[in-house]
Amino acid sequence: MSDIDIKRISYLAKLKLPHEKEEFYANSLKDIIKWVDNLKMIDTSETEPLHNVTEKTVSIRKDEIKKSNSVDDVLSNAPERAQNFFKVPKVVE
Amino acid sequence: MKSSISQIKASLRDKKISVEELYDEFLIKAKSSKTNSFNLLLDKENNTLSIKESQKRYENGNPLPLDGIPLGIKDLFCTKGIRTTASSKILSNFTPNYESFVTQKLLDDGSIFIGKNNCDEFAMGSSNETSFFGPVKNPWKNKNVPTNDLVPGGSSGGSAAAVAEGTCVASMGTDTGGSIRQPASLCGIVGLKPTFGSCSRWGIVAFASSLDQAGPLTNSVEDAALILNSINKHDFNDSTSSNHVREDYSFGINDKLDQKIKIGIPSDYLKDVSRDILSQIENTKKALIKHNVEFVDVEFKTTEYALSTYYILAPAEASSNLARYDGIRYGVREDGKSLDDIYLNSRTKGFGDEVIRRILIGAYVLSAGYYDAYYRQAQKVRRLIKDDFQRIFNDVDFILTPTTPNEAFKIGDKLDPISMYKNDIYTVPTSLAGLPGISIPSGLSTNGLPLGIQFIGNYFEEKKLLQIAALAEKELNFNEQ
Repeated sequence: MSDIDIKRISYLAKLKLPHEKEEFYANSLKDIIKWVDNLKMIDTSETEPLHNVTEKTVSIRKDEIKKSNSVDDVLSNAPERAQNFFKVPKVVE
Repeated sequence: MKSSISQIKASLRDKKISVEELYDEFLIKAKSSKTNSFNLLLDKENNTLSIKESQKRYENGNPLPLDGIPLGIKDLFCTKGIRTTASSKILSNFTPNYESFVTQKLLDDGSIFIGKNNCDEFAMGSSNETSFFGPVKNPWKNKNVPTNDLVPGGSSGGSAAAVAEGTCVASMGTDTGGSIRQPASLCGIVGLKPTFGSCSRWGIVAFASSLDQAGPLTNSVEDAALILNSINKHDFNDSTSSNHVREDYSFGINDKLDQKIKIGIPSDYLKDVSRDILSQIENTKKALIKHNVEFVDVEFKTTEYALSTYYILAPAEASSNLARYDGIRYGVREDGKSLDDIYLNSRTKGFGDEVIRRILIGAYVLSAGYYDAYYRQAQKVRRLIKDDFQRIFNDVDFILTPTTPNEAFKIGDKLDPISMYKNDIYTVPTSLAGLPGISIPSGLSTNGLPLGIQFIGNYFEEKKLLQIAALAEKELNFNEQ
């Protein structure tokens, strides 16, 4: 196992860990990754990955229009809104 | 002894109590409880109409299957107009505009929600200590150290504690790696995790979508069957919802077993377990052997890899599912100068330690250079685990295991994550295989705390599973101990 770059991983996860906690999370992550490393010993060269355990659940519904969430419903939990939009800081200069 | 759903319905039908009085009785008890098992309690005013309509149906002689029954709902199910937090700061202000599939079915069958049960944050935990709203206390005490507050297990810890202390008749929980069965075991109640794909995940706050499954926590196996009847339905809104034919799970639940039943006990599960745990299995064996049940030793080849597989796959799915919490569309927003700052601040301040830890694990195992070695490898091992179960089910009808490796422990006792994760050693393999499992209380430890056993059935064989569990429940007679 190579060393864990906690800054890179946390940025990938869109988290900004406070400096004093970086080591705490890095050590924790290192311990867990070391713990799960035993999977590498298993020969899976002949095995397909399993995505969905029941594997035969696909069902197709009729393509009918149904009334669901309205714009107001969707926006009712927004921290900030402006008319019919979610409001965010300026993105384009 | 607490009343069952059928007994309560009989009292309502015979006018020994009204729906309103019943609701009051539970609400008053819940309000005075010190277990912290509810994040939110609903006053009678919130349920005036449903109480009135339910009473009317009793008076007209046509009550619905769960009419008037006060239920707790894990705070992971979206409930229309009722705050739904997943016990997280980031969702602490969230009120859904829609009802989850499962809770809608419970409402359609006449039940009345008394409140939202506390749970681990985003269902990530085995002790209910990761909740933003504080830990839940187990109503049970260690008779040798009665001053200690104990955990109820998790993540459906509030649900289990509430049912055990009698502040709701039953509660709806969710199980990803043991989150229904483990707390049920530590609180001395029944917990059922149906086959993956039985009960729709639509409207449940997502943790790990290939594993999450809704199920009841109840005082008896029969109550679990009655609730399963309501919630086990196909749903087009969940692409993994199965469209197999459902049965009536409570009908004939106490019938005599007409064929010989063979139950496997995995010897590898019982290595190094305590005397207390071992005697649960021994007692169950003794109790069932006289009912035409044969026990055989079975051995898994994959048990030692199950937790590793789970702690790669579940965090990977979680890191992806929890990407939606960005402070823009719903949930708590923390200010920032740029859009990126809002994302970073909202997520970092909104999630607790355990959730951050799991998101980091997930991001790591999915990141370039590690995906094949961890995530893809774990998915392959998951197939080996599933095949391992199918090999054993070729020869047996059920598998019997302890539900947990230990009794309820002290709040604050297990600080390192790996020792906490090991709590789910007997429940995680079943979840990875997607099989149904039920935990029933089987006896008390030397400290006077409840212990549970788990029956695992084959895919969609909940009917048979509930029958064997009901028989074991009757024979072990836990509630009379």
